[in-house]
Amino acid sequence: MALLEVTDLRTHFFTREGVVQAVDGVDFSLERGKTLGIVGESGSGKSVTALSIMGLIPRPPARIVSGSVVFDGRDLTALSESELEDIRGKDIAMIFQDPMTSLNPTLKIGTQITEVMKRHLGVSDEEARKRAVDLLEEVHIANAADRLNDYPHRFSGGMRQRVMIAIALACNPKLLIADEPTTALDVTVQAQVLDLLEELRDSHEMAMIIITHDMGVVAEAADDIAVMYAGQIVERAGVLDLFDRPEHPYTEALLGALPQIEGEGIREGRLTAIPGRPPDLVDPPPACRFAPRCPYANRNDSCTTEPPELREIRAGHWVRSAHPASERAAHAQGAPA
Amino acid sequence: MTAFIIRRIFWTIPVILLVIFMTFVLMRQIAGNPFRQTERAVPEAIQRNLEEKYGLDKPWYMQYLLYVRGVATFDLGPSLVLRNRTVNDIVKDHFPNSIQLGGLAFLFAVVFGIPLGVIAALRHNSSVDYGAMAFANVGFAVPNFLLGTLLIYLFAIRWGDTFGLPTSGWATWKHKVLPVIALGTGPMAIFARIVRGTMLETLQQDYVRTAKAKGLRWRRVVLVHVLRNSLIPVVTAAGPLLGFIVTGSFVVELIFGIPGIGRYYVTAVQARDYSVVMGVTVLLAIIIIVANLVVDILYGILDPRTREART
Amino acid sequence: MAVNPSQEAVRGAPGEPRSAGAPVRQSSLWRDAWRRYVKNRGAVAAALVFFLLLLYCFAVPGFWKIPGIWTSLRDVDPYQIDFPNAYASPSLAHPFGTDNFGRDLFARTALGGQISIAIGFGATLAILLIGVVYGAISGFAGGKLDNGMMRFLDALYGLPYLPFAIITLAIVGVVNFWTMVVALSIASWFTAARIVRGQIITLKQNDYVRAARAVGARWYRVLGRHLLPNTLGVLIIAIFLELPGVILGEAFLSFIGLGINPPDASWGSMAQDGRDAYRRAPHIIIVPSIAIATLVLCANFIADGLRDALDPRTRES
Repeated sequence: MALLEVTDLRTHFFTREGVVQAVDGVDFSLERGKTLGIVGESGSGKSVTALSIMGLIPRPPARIVSGSVVFDGRDLTALSESELEDIRGKDIAMIFQDPMTSLNPTLKIGTQITEVMKRHLGVSDEEARKRAVDLLEEVHIANAADRLNDYPHRFSGGMRQRVMIAIALACNPKLLIADEPTTALDVTVQAQVLDLLEELRDSHEMAMIIITHDMGVVAEAADDIAVMYAGQIVERAGVLDLFDRPEHPYTEALLGALPQIEGEGIREGRLTAIPGRPPDLVDPPPACRFAPRCPYANRNDSCTTEPPELREIRAGHWVRSAHPASERAAHAQGAPA
Repeated sequence: MTAFIIRRIFWTIPVILLVIFMTFVLMRQIAGNPFRQTERAVPEAIQRNLEEKYGLDKPWYMQYLLYVRGVATFDLGPSLVLRNRTVNDIVKDHFPNSIQLGGLAFLFAVVFGIPLGVIAALRHNSSVDYGAMAFANVGFAVPNFLLGTLLIYLFAIRWGDTFGLPTSGWATWKHKVLPVIALGTGPMAIFARIVRGTMLETLQQDYVRTAKAKGLRWRRVVLVHVLRNSLIPVVTAAGPLLGFIVTGSFVVELIFGIPGIGRYYVTAVQARDYSVVMGVTVLLAIIIIVANLVVDILYGILDPRTREART
Repeated sequence: MAVNPSQEAVRGAPGEPRSAGAPVRQSSLWRDAWRRYVKNRGAVAAALVFFLLLLYCFAVPGFWKIPGIWTSLRDVDPYQIDFPNAYASPSLAHPFGTDNFGRDLFARTALGGQISIAIGFGATLAILLIGVVYGAISGFAGGKLDNGMMRFLDALYGLPYLPFAIITLAIVGVVNFWTMVVALSIASWFTAARIVRGQIITLKQNDYVRAARAVGARWYRVLGRHLLPNTLGVLIIAIFLELPGVILGEAFLSFIGLGINPPDASWGSMAQDGRDAYRRAPHIIIVPSIAIATLVLCANFIADGLRDALDPRTRES
């Protein structure tokens, strides 16, 4: 049984301007010890998906309207707030995008690490502090014992992110969700943090979900990738297969927008941008949501009339499109190159 | 940290001197020599004696320096109207009452205002929030002379039998209830508004989201992560709030017949008892300035970021 | 990836994104702010009430002087003493009742309002003037002068204005509009100075100022197009923040007995008149107090509304 199974998750935001369908039908599953990368542009719903799993969506405007999130056999959407509180930080941990603001500036780092352990593991102060020192060493922070008494503003961005990781690992969670863990960091530091995450995933035997808009990050770190667009998953496959033979026009466009230094099929000239903007999620396109920007959609197709389903086009490779790449190659006639 | 404190203290001294100077200059404008202006005619010789005794025959800068020395040694000089009493005496008689009134009002404001703000923030946009804020807004807008008068009318007169509260005076605890409410409602409203504002802001912060993601119980998140950080800006508001209470006390003491320094101040001005006026003004100013100092230091303690940043 | 000409046809569907090439509608800071302000119902209501209050204060006593307009409806003189009718409760003839001299309170409150509001705005402008000068010098100078000026301000921060106002009035001996303005502003400008200086510092360091200078804009252009419009917003908010304090201050001074001399009136002096008679004729003290409270409440709401409108990042929802 998979560690995490998300089925038809829909999270909507009920605002004065209308209902924002931020996440509208997301399915995936994650095995123990594996890493899933969720990619997409801003507003695609990736962060909301992660927050929905944890039950951290802001409850007045937002609500999980349907779907299930089964973690270790329990449906998280059916649990009470206090039951969720028991799971957060202990079985599922999350780290966020901006390490500068994600730590409480008025509490010592040591307190922020030990409070998780005292909450979930019931250990003594001394025991918690010892473990905190071990954790800081695991994330490669020098002088760990002294650093426990420092405040966050004494740490650099990269170090703060590592502290966040240490906090997340404190209770040995089964799943770690990393929401844009490297976006706010310098490029050199990014690599270090990613390496650290990989190392820890192996040593702790954790499953991981990495959310990012950066294809380069997931190419390194993930086993499987899910591409999200406008609140839906539009393609899902193993990492090598996705990069080698992408199916969905959007994925192709994303990969085409990557600067490449060398390799086959290197594109000369400009980076291709995707024309248009993501749709308004209050009133999304009725059928295929990518259709307005898709180079292959045309009036005669089902693209504007019927929403495409997520189908398995080959083993382990799912796509939500009426014009996946392999089918386009087969129907070369009539379709522009 | 200690460097910060010392620097801060260092800067208050010139300010205090300046305030004394400003008051001194202002007072001298009212009249050069009070003795020549009193209704009772004072014979020349006696006048000269008096001037000498009070040091009024010396040049103004000498008078200023003498006065400053007096302030430093807690000697505020003699009263110019009540010949047998010094300013210190008058202050000793009246000031404690005002301090008590102000202190209780401040306590009232803190005890009722902060929880009000916290509840309003936690139940944001609900009827509790709107109700609390409406109450706070009205509490601030209604001038305290009206509030005081209404309180007296309702609780001491109309329903006097049920409550048994007196209309004026300051003797027993019963005397203190109404004036404290009248004086403390405005500051309470200010506290509630500020606390609600800072809490709402803090609740949006990323580190609160992190705290929730850690699975910490909501009570701990609110008390340790949210409230602590929200109260810091509230501390900075405490300084001006003290000034607000001082101002309000002038009126409240008048309405409730409380023998405090605020009520005496106006009489002193009208009676042209300049040394009392000066002495009390300087005293009030020093208290506020010291309060600001304490608040600043407290702020440095509470928010570790400012300790190093402040020059 | 070629652009499909039939993309045009697809673009008609609902929910389609705005085309990347369509021009963005021009809208200035003020228009955006106005739109945001208008969305805030509380602020709009407050502004309306404020305006009505102003209308009441300046139209009612004024109109009766113009023959034919008001005199046909009401013929009341706020100065007219009428002892037999003193302490009368609100009635049709006197909607707010009469005061201890029998003067109609409806007209008198309006008259008092003129003076209270005039003093309020006058003192507020004085405070802002001093504050702008001090804050601008400190902000533009920077360095040690700025540091010193701010340290000085820090220490003076919470000083109560009332004792200094009292002393000032005692010095001058006379209480009229100008002396009140001076008295009330003499020790109330500290916050305004701090705000102005803060604004100038942020603007000086702001990226768009640097950008403007990087493209070679002259300093007066930078000042006029960038610094001033933003500071103006902050100043307008500051006006509505200071107004309540000043109005209450004038009321306090009058209540203590240092107010406007009769037969003129301000709301504070009217309240003082009503103080002794509060048992038999509470309306005499209640009416002007409610007027004060209304003005204060409106100013607070307007200030909040303006703050939200001009800087939406600070919104709470």
